[in-house]
Amino acid sequence: MPSARVVKNRTEFEGKIYEELALVQGADIPAWSADAELRHVGRSRLRVDGPQRVSGRARYTTDLMLPGMLHARVVRSPHPHARVIRVDAKRALALAGVRSVVDRTSAPELFDEEVHYVGAPVAVVVGETEEIAADAAHLVEIEYESLPFVVDLEEAIADRTRVQRKESYSRGDARRGFREADIVVDARYTTSTQLHNCLEPHGAVAQWDGERLTLWESTQAMFDVRKGVAKAIRARLDDVRVICDYMGGGFGSKLGHGHYSEIAAVLAKRLGRPIRCVMDRREENLVTGNRSATVQRVRVGATKDGKLTALEHVAWSGTGTEDGWVASTTGPSNGLYEVANVRSEQFLVLTNTGPFSAFRAPGYVEGTFALESAMDELADKLALDPLALRRKNYAKLDPQSGKHYSLKRLDQCYSRGAELAGWSRRKAGGTAGRHAYLRRGMGVSTQVWGGGGGPPAYATIHLNADGTAIVRAGLQDIGSGTKTAIAQIAAEELSLPLERVRLSIGETDAPYGPASGGSMTTASLGPAVRLAAVDVRRQLLEVAAGLMEVRASEIHLTDGHAVAGRGGKKLALDEVFSKLQNYTVIGRGSRHPNPEDVRLRSFGAHFAEVEVDIRTGAVRVLKIVAVHQIGRIVNPLNAKSQVEGGVTQALGYAVSEGRVLDRLSGHVMNANLEDYKIPTVKDVPDIVVEFVPDLDRRANNLGGIGLGEPPIIPTAAAIANAVANACGARVRTLPITPARVLEALRR
Amino acid sequence: MEIERPRSLDGALAALAAHPGADLLAGGTDLMVEINFGRKRPEHLIVVQPLAELRDLDRNGAVRVGAGVTYTRLLAEGGGSFAAVREMARTVGSPQIRNAGTVGGNLGTSSPAGDALPVLAAFDATVVLRSRRGERRIPFADYMTGPKRNARAPDEIVVAAEWRDPGPAQTFLKVGTRNAMVIAVASLCLVVERARKSVRVALGSCGPTILRAGEAERFAEELIDESGWDEPLDVSEAAAARFGELVAAAARPIDDVRGSARYRRHVLGVMARRALERVGSVVA
Repeated sequence: MPSARVVKNRTEFEGKIYEELALVQGADIPAWSADAELRHVGRSRLRVDGPQRVSGRARYTTDLMLPGMLHARVVRSPHPHARVIRVDAKRALALAGVRSVVDRTSAPELFDEEVHYVGAPVAVVVGETEEIAADAAHLVEIEYESLPFVVDLEEAIADRTRVQRKESYSRGDARRGFREADIVVDARYTTSTQLHNCLEPHGAVAQWDGERLTLWESTQAMFDVRKGVAKAIRARLDDVRVICDYMGGGFGSKLGHGHYSEIAAVLAKRLGRPIRCVMDRREENLVTGNRSATVQRVRVGATKDGKLTALEHVAWSGTGTEDGWVASTTGPSNGLYEVANVRSEQFLVLTNTGPFSAFRAPGYVEGTFALESAMDELADKLALDPLALRRKNYAKLDPQSGKHYSLKRLDQCYSRGAELAGWSRRKAGGTAGRHAYLRRGMGVSTQVWGGGGGPPAYATIHLNADGTAIVRAGLQDIGSGTKTAIAQIAAEELSLPLERVRLSIGETDAPYGPASGGSMTTASLGPAVRLAAVDVRRQLLEVAAGLMEVRASEIHLTDGHAVAGRGGKKLALDEVFSKLQNYTVIGRGSRHPNPEDVRLRSFGAHFAEVEVDIRTGAVRVLKIVAVHQIGRIVNPLNAKSQVEGGVTQALGYAVSEGRVLDRLSGHVMNANLEDYKIPTVKDVPDIVVEFVPDLDRRANNLGGIGLGEPPIIPTAAAIANAVANACGARVRTLPITPARVLEALRR
Repeated sequence: MEIERPRSLDGALAALAAHPGADLLAGGTDLMVEINFGRKRPEHLIVVQPLAELRDLDRNGAVRVGAGVTYTRLLAEGGGSFAAVREMARTVGSPQIRNAGTVGGNLGTSSPAGDALPVLAAFDATVVLRSRRGERRIPFADYMTGPKRNARAPDEIVVAAEWRDPGPAQTFLKVGTRNAMVIAVASLCLVVERARKSVRVALGSCGPTILRAGEAERFAEELIDESGWDEPLDVSEAAAARFGELVAAAARPIDDVRGSARYRRHVLGVMARRALERVGSVVA
């Protein structure tokens, strides 16, 4: 058995760097080389769980129906800020099928006396059916004392008590840098609150067996749910087991346990029956997280020939009632370009609205819109091609650490993207459309992100005598196809057909695995799975060598056979298995630390082509070209889907999505999918996806890093830049609505 | 909640006579949303969706569209005299909603954003209502009385909309906040009925009811009087702009979640100009 040791590791997660200790075993192996002949990794494979998902057989948390299960429905505050004076549950309790109503007097651990946003929980009704619970929730009478509130971000920024400075960064001397500049762009950008609207709502089902709690939860982070719930209900960590077989999206909003998890756990224990607490679409839009609205000021200074001399980025992010953390909106400005003088500040702004949460590249999406819009405004002033300006300020070394990157092929993303988009057709001032009132334009924008992953992450593989391998890992598949990638990695080293690799994932009794967030799942867990498979292979070869009467070192696995030397004896693995009888080969693998001397980051460029109706202001996005660099692509088909999904979500952010608040009542006016406009199939343009083929062999033993978030990062700025190119309308506010285009045209 | 599923129109009328003011369920694309969002809790529901008597679509001579005709069926209709109807139907919801939603539903709900309503208004359609007391025929202009209010009596069912064929010079335009599954920010239907020397333009989502832009209509009629009712109309830049202004002036829009009053007024002007340019050149 290999010995275990504790190592120090640096992992970048959601734009921030964390230093942690982790336990690893054995030694790592090098990444596959570019000319390695791989049969699974790097090839498009249909999703291993595709048939279950599309046929409705996949069981999600929301589908779970346990015998005797009760349904919990949360009664929520209609006030943005109020004190709860009295909760009268008499009428609700009188309804047949209602089992319990709890509020802060009967369950102080679940509720606060004061509510701080519309939708804050005030009471919970438990009923025999979902419908009974929902009906009874209307019958709970609550008396409130209204308190003053602010829901508008700009209004809150003006109130010093609501603003906290959370991050600041500088290098060089920004003041001096601006003095050296020939031209300065100084612009203010604002972005709207984006809602996740995952297909599967948030929710949990809790069941107790004595002191042991089993919690089914739609989550991106089973282990964090376990930790959070155990702490909240004062249970021992190993008394809480979290299960997440399938999930329908999280986008960052399911990275920890929810209030619903605590409700389910606490009330299931009290009532002695399983409890299901699943949010509806309105709750999804009010209480389960969102991307912060921002106000940002970007100043960029440059010499006449386009060399940046200074960059200043100040961001205010509305976090609702979340006062702990804020996303790194200024991250792209700190680290994308080679500019000697940088200063940035990140403020958190509290409002009486539902708490924000991580949302697919939190901060970077908002910040990239501002930075990459400002870069185009600068290019305009300098009469430079936007791409040329970006190339001029290309950072070969990581500007923050001074380190080399493990891989940086952003230049290739630019050149290949330009080719695919037909950038040479772009003209300053745009081109004509079919009618006099239609103008066409093109825009570009850049993506930088982390996603290198890191330890801790562990996997075991059990190879059984029937020739199937079972990969066991504390992994939840957020819906991005991680399962398939993991199966491909195992199949590769085991030389097995993909269908013979099974996955035992989705519960916390498994070896620890990372959250499905920060674009780091495959890059964290994949290398551990590969090592576990290598461990199995080594043991299997020892067995085969015995059967073939050769030394283990003389044989290798290929195409389902153990082969001795070149063209020597061959033994089918199936024969090995048949001789083994009741025998299990167990392999173990752990994720080793990241290299210290290089920075792991992914890069990409998006090119947008749009058509603008200058009379109605309507923007039609015709095409998005997305070229990304993440090193090794485990499954090209999956990777392409990931980019298409990211671009689509970014398209909504850019042109149609945004939470609408009523300043006077504090209510969300579009907390449903009828009024909150995510893109439909008719809105999604032609999306052209390509990847730089170079491997990131320093990153980890796969040679690649994560792709979950990169494709949502640059799109909005590319679209804004294309609109400006088409018709001269520089829209500095997202979403780019027709009215805003017209307003910008009038300027 | 009591739900009745009568097998005939007579049965439905009897059920409604027994429970005047009961909610009628056709495609359910409005009512079920209201119920699911908890905005409405009908005590009595009468399902009219399967009634064969409401599904007639007759285009021989005067046009008659049964209240139960879905948007999918309207989309399948051909012919120049249905151009605006088809354009309108295409903008309704998604295929699933078009399969379920009906013209009668739009009339019953009487939302100013109901996509079919500007078309019916511009076509000078007649709304046919029936009750056990008999049949009533009301001009569309008198039918819709306010936002989600109309002249239907509590015991009446909308059975059809009828209009005389106005000829092929017609178009429907709509602006939404995305390309599908949208409620109109603003919509407009323009008809140039050359045979009767009449121009009619109706506006959706721009006031408490569907509005007719009377001044704009008269302005366009005068234009065509000059160029000739049998000739294609070549709209000058100035005339198109004036027409747009007059249409915009007829609107009584509000600010809401979908758009501002200011934008609505602006975009109505743009749509009006485009509609006139498009339709002016169409001669039967």
